[in-house]
Amino acid sequence: MTDRPRPPISRRRLLQASAFAVPGAWVLSSCARAQPLGAPAPAASTAGGSAAASLPPLTEIPIASPQNPVKWPINPGNEPIASGLEPEMNATLRVYNYPDYVYKRVLKDFQKEYADYNVKVELSTFNDLPEALTKIRSGSVPFDVGFLTYNYMGKLVYGDLIRPLNHDYIPNINDVWEEFQNPFYDQGWQYTVPYTIYTTGIGWRHDLIPEDIGARPNPYDVFWDAKYAGAIAVLDDDREVIAMTILRNGGTDVNSGDPAVLGQTRDSMLEMLSVSRPRVTITGYTDIPEGTMSLSQCWSGDMITGQYYLPEGVDPALLRYWSPPTGKGVIGNDFLCVLKGGENPVMAHHFLNYMLKNDVAIKNLSFVGYQPPLRSLTPETMVADGYLPANLAGAIVKPEWFQVGYPLLELPVAVEAEYQAIWQQFKSGA
Amino acid sequence: MPDRTSRFIWPILGLPGMVWIALFFLVPLYVVFCVTFGTVDPIFRSPVPAWNPLEWQFEQVVVVWDRLVGPNNFYLPPVLRTLLYVVVAVVACMIIAFPVAYFTARYAGRHRALILALLVAPFWISYMMRMLAWINLLQPDGLVNSMITLWGIIPLEVNWLSGNPFTVVMGLIYGYVPYMLLPLFAALDRISPSLIEAGRDLGASGFGLFRRVILPMSVPGVVAGTLLIALPMMGDYFTSDMLSKSPNTSMIGNLINLSIATPGQSGQAGALLILVLLVLLAPMIWYTRSNAKAEVRS
Repeated sequence: MTDRPRPPISRRRLLQASAFAVPGAWVLSSCARAQPLGAPAPAASTAGGSAAASLPPLTEIPIASPQNPVKWPINPGNEPIASGLEPEMNATLRVYNYPDYVYKRVLKDFQKEYADYNVKVELSTFNDLPEALTKIRSGSVPFDVGFLTYNYMGKLVYGDLIRPLNHDYIPNINDVWEEFQNPFYDQGWQYTVPYTIYTTGIGWRHDLIPEDIGARPNPYDVFWDAKYAGAIAVLDDDREVIAMTILRNGGTDVNSGDPAVLGQTRDSMLEMLSVSRPRVTITGYTDIPEGTMSLSQCWSGDMITGQYYLPEGVDPALLRYWSPPTGKGVIGNDFLCVLKGGENPVMAHHFLNYMLKNDVAIKNLSFVGYQPPLRSLTPETMVADGYLPANLAGAIVKPEWFQVGYPLLELPVAVEAEYQAIWQQFKSGA
Repeated sequence: MPDRTSRFIWPILGLPGMVWIALFFLVPLYVVFCVTFGTVDPIFRSPVPAWNPLEWQFEQVVVVWDRLVGPNNFYLPPVLRTLLYVVVAVVACMIIAFPVAYFTARYAGRHRALILALLVAPFWISYMMRMLAWINLLQPDGLVNSMITLWGIIPLEVNWLSGNPFTVVMGLIYGYVPYMLLPLFAALDRISPSLIEAGRDLGASGFGLFRRVILPMSVPGVVAGTLLIALPMMGDYFTSDMLSKSPNTSMIGNLINLSIATPGQSGQAGALLILVLLVLLAPMIWYTRSNAKAEVRS
């Protein structure tokens, strides 16, 4: 039998074939959730489980800020665990975090400390918080502990994704700076304990940029300096770059929704693109030490951890970090929380308490480079105590800066969309 | 009886392929449509697909269209940039691959299998690893700079990794040239030596023979190779991300990737994806039709 060319498909056949798509769509539809998780009406969380029937609609979800501290509700059916429970036996404690943001030796030590319970710590990583939230919500992995950020608190609570804490299991909270025992984003630390604190500033290698950036009248201007075109980078984070541009332009409200401010910010960012051709990356902590980049917007911990990425023979004293010495710059912290979808809530409480222990937190600092807000770590003596070299003293975060610094807060949906549009335009290279 | 067997055997053998296409192409494509024309979760800003086409909404398509052709058309530069990069990279791949494929097909003799194996060797290593290797080579103090400055004798400083468009195009060429090579080799290998002999007998010299016999007969391979590399290049985001990290070299793929990663923007990502699909569908249809016509002719 020989093959012969077939006639093209007729319109009648095409319509017949299309008819099969309708049952297909119905099948897909029946696989879907009846209602989005975040809908104002009662919504069942895959990861959590209990109905959040009492949650108000979106417009009523408060946005926490230092001026408007928020005490979050505890959803029905999501009460804290009882006191005095034994940790789960043979548990696999699933920890969810950014890459390179916890010292693996610390996790191994936890396993040793709780060897009687035969606990195994399993670390999974995410690249950004939207990705983390998507995975936590899907419930595909029952994560026990999350290393998250406070501008997602509303989503976590109203999505019924985190479990309120039983303070009896976390006595080490007393070793934490006082402002973090009642933070604005979680009044009464009902859901979170602090992990690390940081500022956002500028990091560079002094042999490649032999200039005292901090001595400039406006150090942020370095990102608009054609002299360094092609050698610099900004963070791959819309909020951080927009905030830095607002500060550079003389503003202080890094969460502004003012169209005039945002318009000016967008124009400045596009000007930056044409003047200095920055790269956009969060890998400054390796790229600057290795010399593939000379200067970058970065977080304070990046340059401290950057010491360990220096090529052999390069002096760690060449690394520099600047953020406003008055503390009036972008400042923030990350936290630890117990995720509701986890299978080991008691062990998770013990893990949070363990991470707040002085020796554990200091050991962790030696790897991640980010400072924990512990009473035992006195900012004034951290250099003398050998936690970091004198040339990186600017990366130390002081408690009083949390009174004057500018945290990046959760944004109203419409403002968030504006920020995203600016960021898209910037990253389009338009 | 044999006719009845052959009537059913081919559809049965084709069935797994059809099921595969339905499950892993048509269904995901429908999901893309449902996400694009669906809504967004009010808290998490994650996509809420509209499975029923009657419920489809077109706001995100309008947003994308406005950003392409409206007054604030900031999607246009990456689109034009992508087209430019792809055209340059395809032409460069062709210039590199054609002589190699021709040599392998006609003159490699008993070493043909070995040469072919070496040519496809890059396939054995992941694309990411190959790009990471280039990052090392292109560093300011890397091997490439050492060579072009004759190990420091010539005072020349080139920062290849500072958002340099040349580096991105070079990465595309390096990453995709093997995909151009194989269809070209297949087409050139199919040219009957007797046709070339006939061309010579009729007086065609070296270049004339190439222009009048070899090139026209290699057109199917050229078109197949072009499509094979141009299609994935159009959606490539990884090369620019790895070798540049600069907005000044952003391509459509980077825009789609950014939209997917941004809460509330999955609809725009879907709309961009459909746009790329529609643009690429035209040459695909043209290719399929011209192939079908060629089959009928032969």
